[in-house]
Parts: sequence; C-alpha cells; structure tokens
Amino acid sequence: MLRQPFTFTALLSAAALTLLPAAASAAPPKGKVEAKPAKPAAKPKEKPEAKGDKGKAKVDTKKLEAELASGDSARIGAALGELIKAGDAAAGAAPAVEALLGKGLSAELVVKALEAAGALEQSSSSAAIAPYVKHRSDAVRRAAAKALVKTKGAIAVSTLRHALRSGDAQVRGVAATGLGTLGAKDALPDLFKALAHSVPEAASSIGQLCEPSDCDKFADLTGKHQFDIMSSGFDQILFRAEKDMPDDQKIKVVGRIRELGTKEAGKYLADVKGRWPEGWSKRVKQAIEAAVKATGGGASGGDE
Amino acid sequence: MTALRLLFGLSCAAVACSPATTNTGAAFSSNWQNDGGKSIQAVYAKVSSAALAPGAAVAVGITRDGLVGIGLDGSGKWKAAGRPDSQPAIAGDVVVTTTGGSAVGLDAKSGKELWRVPVEGRVLRGAGDDGATTVLSLGAPSGGGSLLLAVTRDGSVARKIEPEAAELGVPAAQGNVAFVPWSSQYVSAIDLGSGNELGRLLLRDQVSHAINVGGKLHFGERGLVRFDDKVGGSASGNASAVKLPERELPGKPVWFTNGSQVTPAAASAREKIRLFARPADEAGKLGIAGGRYAATYFRVVMGLDAADGSLRWVRTFGQDVLGGAAASNGFAFCDAAGKVSLVDSSGGDAGQVDLGASLVGCVVHAGGFALPAGKPAGSLPEQLAKAIEVRETEMATAQRFLLRELGTRQEPLVTKALVDLASNPRTPALLLEDARQLLAARRNGAEYMLEALSKHYDFLSDVLRSPPVGPIADALAAMNEPKAAGPLAHHLNDAANTPSDIERAARALSKLATAAELGELKTFFTLYRATADEKELVNAVLSVAQALLRIGGDDGKKVVAEAAKDPLTHPDVKAGLANLTPAAKPEPKPTGDQPAPGDKPAAKPAKKG
Repeated sequence: MLRQPFTFTALLSAAALTLLPAAASAAPPKGKVEAKPAKPAAKPKEKPEAKGDKGKAKVDTKKLEAELASGDSARIGAALGELIKAGDAAAGAAPAVEALLGKGLSAELVVKALEAAGALEQSSSSAAIAPYVKHRSDAVRRAAAKALVKTKGAIAVSTLRHALRSGDAQVRGVAATGLGTLGAKDALPDLFKALAHSVPEAASSIGQLCEPSDCDKFADLTGKHQFDIMSSGFDQILFRAEKDMPDDQKIKVVGRIRELGTKEAGKYLADVKGRWPEGWSKRVKQAIEAAVKATGGGASGGDE
Repeated sequence: MTALRLLFGLSCAAVACSPATTNTGAAFSSNWQNDGGKSIQAVYAKVSSAALAPGAAVAVGITRDGLVGIGLDGSGKWKAAGRPDSQPAIAGDVVVTTTGGSAVGLDAKSGKELWRVPVEGRVLRGAGDDGATTVLSLGAPSGGGSLLLAVTRDGSVARKIEPEAAELGVPAAQGNVAFVPWSSQYVSAIDLGSGNELGRLLLRDQVSHAINVGGKLHFGERGLVRFDDKVGGSASGNASAVKLPERELPGKPVWFTNGSQVTPAAASAREKIRLFARPADEAGKLGIAGGRYAATYFRVVMGLDAADGSLRWVRTFGQDVLGGAAASNGFAFCDAAGKVSLVDSSGGDAGQVDLGASLVGCVVHAGGFALPAGKPAGSLPEQLAKAIEVRETEMATAQRFLLRELGTRQEPLVTKALVDLASNPRTPALLLEDARQLLAARRNGAEYMLEALSKHYDFLSDVLRSPPVGPIADALAAMNEPKAAGPLAHHLNDAANTPSDIERAARALSKLATAAELGELKTFFTLYRATADEKELVNAVLSVAQALLRIGGDDGKKVVAEAAKDPLTHPDVKAGLANLTPAAKPEPKPTGDQPAPGDKPAAKPAKKG
C-alpha cells in the first residue's frame, strides 16, 4: 500500500472532514483503497427538521431555550455546550440560538453560539450567523464561516462568496472549502480568482464543482500552482461519480497529469490507481495505469 | 587618468616652456583698509568696456571614466577620457577639470583639449574666463593650500599666485583682471598682467563665488552683488544686490556652496539639494530672471516664487538631479541618467537633451541660452501628488514638505490627491499619517471622498488597503454631507477598517445617519455591544447608540435600553449607555425626516484612555 505522499491535500481533506458531513468528501482518503464507489461531490442537502433518532440522547429543548434566555453568562454557556453536543437532535432550539445571535453576546459566548448554530444545521440560522463573518474578532468570524458551511442555504452561499474577499486567510480558506461543499457552482468564477490569489482550498472546491469546460480551465493551471494544490482539485474530479463527471473528462485530466512527467505526478497517479474503486470505469482505470507506467509510478526514475 | 595624460601630453610640454609669473600673496593682504568702494569702482571703470561673452550653454556630465558634454540645444555631443578628481567648472567657453595632477582645459562645445598644466597636487575649486585667459582656483583635496593660476589659450601659465593664508574661492575674469573672492568677505581684483591687486570689494554678506551671468559678473554666496556702476556702494548696502527669499525647504538647499572648498566630482547629497536662480534686471532693479528660482531635492525639483518663496510648480524626475543652471526663461537640470531636462519658468516641459551615459556628477552652464516654449504642466496638486508618489525612502523629507504644501491649497483636486495617497498601500507610514490628518481637515472635494468610501478592502480584487474612512468621516461630518451616511454605515461593519476609523465613522453617523442606515447601525450595535474590547470600539458603540436613539424611534430606544440593562453588555459600553438618556425623555416633536445638521448627541462617548 502506498504511503500518504501529499501532505497538503491530506490536510485539506482533514479540514473538510472536520467541517463537513462525511458525505461531502467525494474522494476516498488517499492511501486507502475504497471498496465502494464514492458518492458524488456534496450537494446542498435540505434539512427541514431535526433528526432525533440517531442514537443521541433526547434533548429537552424547552429547558435549554429557557437557559439561553436567562441572561446569565454561565447558564447560557452551559446550554450552548449542550446544544453543540446534541447537534441536530436539538434543532428545535435553533430559533433561540438565532435570537441570541441577533441580540449580541460576549466574544466567548458568541463563538459558542455560532458553534451551536452550526451543530443544529438549520438553514434558518444562516441569516443570524452571516453578519458575524465580518466581525473584528478572528475567532468569531472564523466560527461564523464554519457554521455557515453547516447551516447552508442561499444566505450561506452568498456570505461565503463574499468571505473569499476577506483579509483573513483562514476565513478565505473556510469559505473556499465551504462553497465546494455547498455545491455553489455559481461561485466558480470567484473560486478561480481565489486560486489565482493563492487560496489553495479553492482548488479542491473547483474540482468538486467544475463542469467539463471549467475542469479544462482548471487543468490548464497545471504548472502554475504547486502540484499538491492542483492534485487536491484533480482528486475531486477523478473521484466524482460518472454521471457527474464523464469518463472522457477524467481521462483528459489523467493525460494532463501524465504530461507533467514528474516523479510527483507519477506518485500521485499511482496513489489514485491504488484508490480507484472496484467497479468504476475500466477505461479511466486503464488510462491511469498507462499513465502510472509512463511516469514511472513515482519510482526514482521519473522526471523531475 | 592615464588616458588624459596621453591625450593632453603634448600641450603639457607648453607649460615647461612658459614659466609662470609668481606672486606669493601680496595680492591678498590682510592690511587692507576699507576704501569705501573706491578701488573696486575704479576697477569697474577700467574693465567694464571689455566685452565679456556669456559663455557656452552646455551640460558636462561626469561618468565613471571621464566627461561627456552636450550643448543645451542638443548640439556638439562629446566625450573626454579621464575621470576628474573634483567637480569640473564651465568657464566661458572652456571646461576646466583637474585629473592626475594636471588641470586640463577643454573646448566646451567640442570637448577638444585646449591646454594642460600641472597643479602641484591641488584639485580644482572653480574657474573663470574672460575669453582669452582662464583663471583657476585650486586647493588641496582635504582643504587649504590655495593656488590661483591664470592660463592663456596656448597653455601658458600667465600668473600663479599662492597666497600665504587666504583661502580663495571661485574666481571670474574680465578684461585680463581676475576677480577672486577670499576669506568669505573680499573680492580682490588682480591684474593678470602685473599681478597687482587693482582694487578690492568688501561685502557685508558671505562671498566665495565670482560668476559670469550672461556676460555680467556677480559676487556672493548667500546672495549676489552685481559688478556694475553701483558696486562701490556694496559695503554701505547700496550696490545692486539680490537674495532669494528665506523659507523652509527640504534639506536646506543653498544657492552656492562654500567656494573655497573643493566640490567632489561625484555628486553627494549636497549637490543634489541645491537652489538655482539667475540674477537679472527685473522691474528696474536686480532681481531673479522670470521671477522663479528652483530647489532640487534628489529626484524632485520645486519651482518657487522669487518674491515670496511660495511653491509654484513641482517636477519629478526618474533619477536624482545632479546639477543644473538657471537660464533667462527657465532652467536646465541634469540627472543621473544623463538626461538634461529643460523646464521653463512656469514649470513647463521645454525639451530634453541626452548626454548618453549614466552620470555620477554634472555641471551645467546656461550662458545666454533661451529655452524654447514649454508644454504646460498639469495642475500644481497633480504635480505635487506625482512627486509624493515616488517610493524612495530618501525622498521622505521632501514628500512631507510637499504634502504640507498640498494641504494648504484649497482646490477640491487636492482632496482627491490626499484620498489617493491615504488609500495607496505603498504610501510610507510617515506620509500616510500626514495625509490622513490633512484629509480630515478638508472642507471640499466631498465627491472624491464619497467615491473613496464606495471602495472596501477586497482581497480578490487586490484592494489591500481600506480607504481612509476615519479622516473622511471627520471631514464629511464637518461638511454635513448627507450622502456620507450610507457609505459610512456600510464601513462600520467592515472589519478591515481600523478601530480608530470605525470610531470616527460612528461619530460621524451619530450626526449624519438617517433611517436608511438603521439596519447597519443595529448590526454594528449587536455585534459589538458585548464584544467591544478596545476603547475606540467602545466609543463607536456609544456613538451608534446615540444614532439609534436619535433616528431609531421606539425600536431603537428599546434596543439601547435593553443593552444598558443586559449583564452581557461590555462593562465600558454599559457605563457609557447609562449616561445616555434614551426613552426616559419624551421624544421631541418631529420637525422633519432628517435630523438637523449639527444635532448634539445625547452624551459624549468615552474618551480614549
């Protein structure tokens, strides 16, 4: 089995996993061979109501709402902590959290409230969260951006698009990742711009969202950005479901990587080969295998 | 050096064949008694009939390995090998330089060698020429050791004077008489035929230069006295004299440096920071030609009014200005790139000639040259803005000066220049603060401020510095500009603005905000009433609270009142809110949709701690 060679991509994947529901990441983790076909890149998932049947303890939302309205810092903090733990099981408390955000809280509590709003995953909360993405406190605006990725909806998308323009690199990164997760295809021009402005997280999202012509445009950037940044986008393209990304496009991408002829490219292709799900396109697999062979599969003989 | 020796080797022989007539200092006696100007007046009577040509109009550049020259009209470009060991002089039609132990005379229009004489270890201080004889003032490179040589066109040293104690300045010559400034207060007229001192001029102001300006001699250093029929009145202040207005200028430039000291061949800061002016008859008395003089400061040249010193124009060059000269209707400036730029008295571009080489030093002589008509320069605010944009640390002093000049002007365009400067991420910190202060004090150009406020920090669009929101807020509030409220409210919630700018925007909004800004105001109040952790932000929250009380109706009062009671509200904000008097007082009868300009806030925001 191949060792994990692409640190940056791995970090991105890890970041995405901490931020997002598991289904959001289409590609199998690098270095592992996934038995089942990966799901397509995440699309916005409507979550109209709370799910209390996931084995989580039942939450007394009425009681928590009362605590949130207590005006007491410690009690509010404790209630928010419980909501974070409960997650969408406590979705009924979302309006109370939104009310708190709409009224304003101390810096410590506001971060907790944003985390709670994110945990409850209610798109209705996005409007209350959105203003905090521009907060002067790093911790607050980052928590707000992360929460929006979970609460989703049109307001989340438009706010995250705007957040790509932020002076805070972490907010830009979360926004770029989040736009991919939220399936915000309209944001592709902004994501390309972000990539050109060295927002590396944009590459993966472009890979998740691109139509074939956009994917070509992305592939044209090969050589202009570090390979590990580009590979985070290639990975998304290659592991998108066939209905979402035609084989021909994937073969084109493989060809593009093969053309690089570098040891790094060879290693990456070998890694993709190892992770290629059984039952997936044989044509693409053959193209990957040929490319691995041509590039030396990352062996020391490859071109630099 | 070797090249010059070879080049001028033949003429050197002439020196040995023409023994100099030597004085050892009788000409510069310290026993002289003030004669009330009689002797110098007599000298004037003697030599005034001898025609003195204005001399060549040329620029002579010093390169790393020699000299390059060109006429100011672009004619006669030449080169001469051999690097000078001090700044060359242009005397009449002769370029004089010392190199490798010799003084060399070159034809100013062709660079052709005229003569070469040994200088006994001295280097050139300056030279004058009367059309037949060149007078050289020389000294030891490290100071002292004055030596005066008079060299005729055939290379003969007609006179050699080595004063015992006097330090000689830059000489001139007319009618075979040398005029030699010395000891900073005298100009001795030496008959080059006899070596006798024919007369002496006593000046009450410093003198170390005798110069030929357009065929007329002048003496001085800080100011100039003309050698004319009134010269005898010099000691009593009745001579034809001219001075430049005293005013603050960056680097404290001087018109003339001390002529009894050697000026290095490679221009130092002293040569790059200079004044240039040409004495001329103006309105019946000695004044400054064209009513303008110029001050250089590295890459910037400032045109100043000769009457009051006020700034009239500014030119910015690509390279440091190493030398220059004033002509009758403008100036010629020679820069390190070898370009000689002609600038008319109004600051207009009158053309350029190119020496074709990078320079380390440069001297220019305008002679009788008249500049062609120049192309009008842009407005002074535009010229100032361009000069201030130059990104070089050594320019900071001049730029601060120019910025202050800019701020004194009333044109609305000045506001634009200040906005641009304060918005530019490349503006040095020192200038940025000055620009912001000046901007806050502006009371016109609101349209430029509003345009600036329409921009925000935008990483993807490479707008990496927020506009100067605080100063603009101050200015627009002082102008009671109602259009400012919307953009300022929008900036309130932009984290890219500094806390100080936010504080000032909020203060302006406490006066300017209307119901249209309620949304932004409430958002700001919500976000920061409990998280404001800096004094500026606390003040901003309180200013916004005032605005909410003023324009927010019952809802606004409720928001503020609840915050005042809420234990989560930041203690400093809470204390400030307690001083506000929201719903307690009955709402005044509405007198219109808009608050009256200048409405006083309910309570003062907290002062900075």
